[in-house]
Formats: sequence, structure tokens, C-alpha cells
Amino acid sequence: MVKELFFFLGVSLSSVSVFGQASFDSLKIKQAKHYFNTVIAIDAYRKPNKDLETNKVLEKKLGAYGVRQTMITFHVPIWTKDRILADSTRQNQHLLITGNILSFRPTFTGVPDHNLMKFGIGLRYIYNTGKKGVLFIDVSPFITRDANSSSRGYYRLASTFIYSHNTSSRFNWRLGITKSFQWGNRLYLPFLGLRFGAVNKINFTFQFPRYSSLNIPIGEHSYFSIYSMSQGGLFAFSNTDTLYPKLSVKSFNFSRFDINHGVRFDVRSWKHFSFYVAMGLSTRNRLTFYSEKANRSRRAVNYNAYFFTTKAPASFFLNLGLVFRLGQVRSSFGIRNLNDATDLMNAASGNYGNSLQPMNPKIQNKINLQSVQDLVDFNDF
Amino acid sequence: MRRIFKIVFIFLVVQGSAFAQHGNNRVEALRVDFISKRLNLSPAEAEKFWPIYNEYTDKLQAIKKNLRQNFRQKSGAMTETEAEELYKLELQSHQVEADVHKLYSERLKAIVGSKKMVLLKIAEDDFKRELIKTIKGGGE
Repeated sequence: MVKELFFFLGVSLSSVSVFGQASFDSLKIKQAKHYFNTVIAIDAYRKPNKDLETNKVLEKKLGAYGVRQTMITFHVPIWTKDRILADSTRQNQHLLITGNILSFRPTFTGVPDHNLMKFGIGLRYIYNTGKKGVLFIDVSPFITRDANSSSRGYYRLASTFIYSHNTSSRFNWRLGITKSFQWGNRLYLPFLGLRFGAVNKINFTFQFPRYSSLNIPIGEHSYFSIYSMSQGGLFAFSNTDTLYPKLSVKSFNFSRFDINHGVRFDVRSWKHFSFYVAMGLSTRNRLTFYSEKANRSRRAVNYNAYFFTTKAPASFFLNLGLVFRLGQVRSSFGIRNLNDATDLMNAASGNYGNSLQPMNPKIQNKINLQSVQDLVDFNDF
Repeated sequence: MRRIFKIVFIFLVVQGSAFAQHGNNRVEALRVDFISKRLNLSPAEAEKFWPIYNEYTDKLQAIKKNLRQNFRQKSGAMTETEAEELYKLELQSHQVEADVHKLYSERLKAIVGSKKMVLLKIAEDDFKRELIKTIKGGGE
């Protein structure tokens, strides 16, 4: 009996050492835990001053309107869990911390500069079913305040829930709901997305209500896009210039919304760094001032009671960005759902240069020995 | 605005040197493309095959990198004991490589079958040959 027990133990232990992970673990090699890099993006957006129509008293007071916006966004993967099903399907879950710091300076010529700040930190959860679907949940609480005055901060919550389905590598559809302030108001909108074409080849993507673009890879390191994108936000604006007639009101809500039609050129210099330049025409520029006091009693029906709204003429815009990707990640070559998850993160952040899609390389003579040393044995030469 | 243009200009100038550092990722992407064409995996097979194949290659590369780093760090003035440790590490690494290869080959075979496993081996060898040709200057 004892002999049989030892025999059984011996067989079990030897099979663990051959087929299990113990032998690999014994080398104590540190491997990447996550599939996504930590990404830090710095984005600068500028629009020159354009005269507002001068029919209203406030328009006369404000003068011309332009935009200077700088934004730093980041996401950090904090948890990744793989699960292998009985049929060898690999599912994985990802949790990331997201954040953004935004400085929006509306440059009115008639009033001193205001620096409208937004600080947000949130959580993002991605579930790759291992088959065709990806679930994406993003919750981003943030605070806005006018940094040039003693305005108090306003807490808000933006969130997005999307199910993305990869019918094939060339076609994807998405369905979800988003609560956002991007359109200059607190809105709950359906999210409908379609992508025709593989993510790393020529594709057309339509992500209502945020983005539509035609993306064309040029060579191995650059992308050219023609796009239309909504842009905007709801900010706290100090009443130091008494734009709101009641002097007792310290601040009110300021919202801006515009739709940008432009071209963008992304250069992926290195796997840890890329940059982009975009320019075009900013249209349907709308500014609105909402009274915080008048809206306080009607929170359930959006911030509809405005005391001033105006449209600014279309103008040229320039958008530049630097993107840094830190750390090492696990390989995701050929895994369609993880490429789609990357695309979803870009769609949620409204910045298609943040996370990299694998490009389509071609064998060229510039391959160096160092990059293939793990693949090629000296006997192969 | 001028400052931003200057920054962009500097990055445009330095990008050429940075491109060379894409290295490993580029070769990995090439390999995946090469193998995909050779194996002709069905979408259902591909969904299961690539996550396991990626994990397999990640592990093999980690073993080789670990061994290389240890040799580079300690190959200068080393004591007999350190040399013995390195020697053991090399043997152990080769053993682990073989174990990993066996483990993942079984997993991959369960998905694509024996015939495609043989095709995979041929595709991997052909890809190496293509790389060598390219490095020697005889590639595309």
C-alpha cells in the first residue's frame, strides 16, 4: 500500500515537472503581466479668435472667441486575469485606471482669460470573451473648476458601456450607451459603432456619436486619417466678469461644442512613442452659459435653462499630440479581440493615436541581427 | 504655437533613428503574418491558436533573454562558483525550453491537429530562412 502510494506520488510529481509551469517558474523570470501598455498622452488644441455675432449684449461684452486647450490623459493597467476554457478558448479580463487633466482656455477678447480645469480619474474594465465579443465599461468621475478664480469645484460622472462584436477581422459592430458632457450638456446617448476593414489596414470607422474616420496606413510607421469628430465639454466658469447679472452668483456652467472635420497624420516612431498632427475646420461652434442656480432644482432634465447661447463662425484648428507608452506587454499578435479592445480604448478616449494597433510590416533588408537573435539559431547560418 | 512647431520638427528629425528600435515587434508581426498564411487557420482555430502561441513564444523569448542577460552580466571576471552557476543555468534553461515546447505543442495540437503542427514547424523554419536571406541581403 505504502509502495503504491509512493509510486503514485512519484508519477504525479514527475508529470507536474514536465507538463506544468513549475520548471519555468523555477527560473524566476519576470514576465509582462498585462496586454496593454501604460499610456500617457499630451494633446494640444488651438483655434484662432473669431468675432462672435454682436446682436446680444453679452456677445458685445465677450468680443472674439478662440480656444487654447491642453490635455494630459493616461491609463494604467492594474489587473489582468486569463482563463482557459475546456475547448481551449482563452478569455481575459482587464482593469485599468484612467485619468485626465484638461486645461481649457476660451480666449475671449472682451474679458480676462479663464482657465477652465477638469481633473478626472476613473476605472475601465474590459472583458474579452475569447470568441467574438468584447465588453467595455468605462466610469470616469471628474471635477471641473475655474482655476483663475476661487470658484468651487463641480463633481460629475461620465460613463460608457459598450458591447463590441467582431463578426470577422474586416467587420465589427458596437452597441452601447454613453453618459457624457462632451456635447455641451449632460446627455445619455446610444453608442453605435461600425468598422469596415481590418484595424491595421485601410478601414472606415463610424462611432456615433463621437467619431467617423477613414484610416489609411502609410508604410509601417505612419497613419493618415480623414475624420469628423465632436468635441466639447461642460465647465465651471467664474462670474468675476459679472456675465451673469446676479452678483451673488460666484460661478455658472459654461459649455462648448464643435464638430471638427480634418486630416490627421500619426507617426509611430517607436513602440514606446508616437506623435500626431491634425488640422482642419472646426464647425458648428456653440457656446452656452447655464445658470447653476436656475438648474439646481431640475437636475433630472439636463442643464437646459441657459441664460446665454451663441454660435461662433467656423474656423481653422490645429491639434498636436505626443503619446508615450511605458512598460513591456504580453504578445497579442493575431488576437482579434485584443486589437479590438485597443480600438475601443481609443474610441472611448476620442484619441485614435493613444494605443497602438499592430502595423503590417514587410520583410526588408533593414532587419538587424539583434531583433532576430531569439528566432535564429547559429546553426541556421 | 511656434514652440509646438519646433518640438514637432525635432521629433520629425529624430524619428529616423528611432525607427530602428521597432526591432522585435516588427519581426514578431512578420512571423505571425507568415505563419497565418501557411497554416490557413479557420477563424475558430485562429481564436484559440494565437493566444496560446503568443504565450509560448513570450516564454521562450523570456528564457533566452534571461540566459543572455545573466551571461552578459557575469561573463567578465567571474569566480569558479559563479561560472558553475551560469553553466547550471544554461543547462536548466535548455531543459525548461524543451518542457515549454512540449507543453505548448500539446496544447496547440489539441486545437489544430498534428498535420498543422507539422506545417507550423515547416513554416517557422522557412520564416527563419527568409530572415537569414534578408539579413544577408538576398531578401525581398
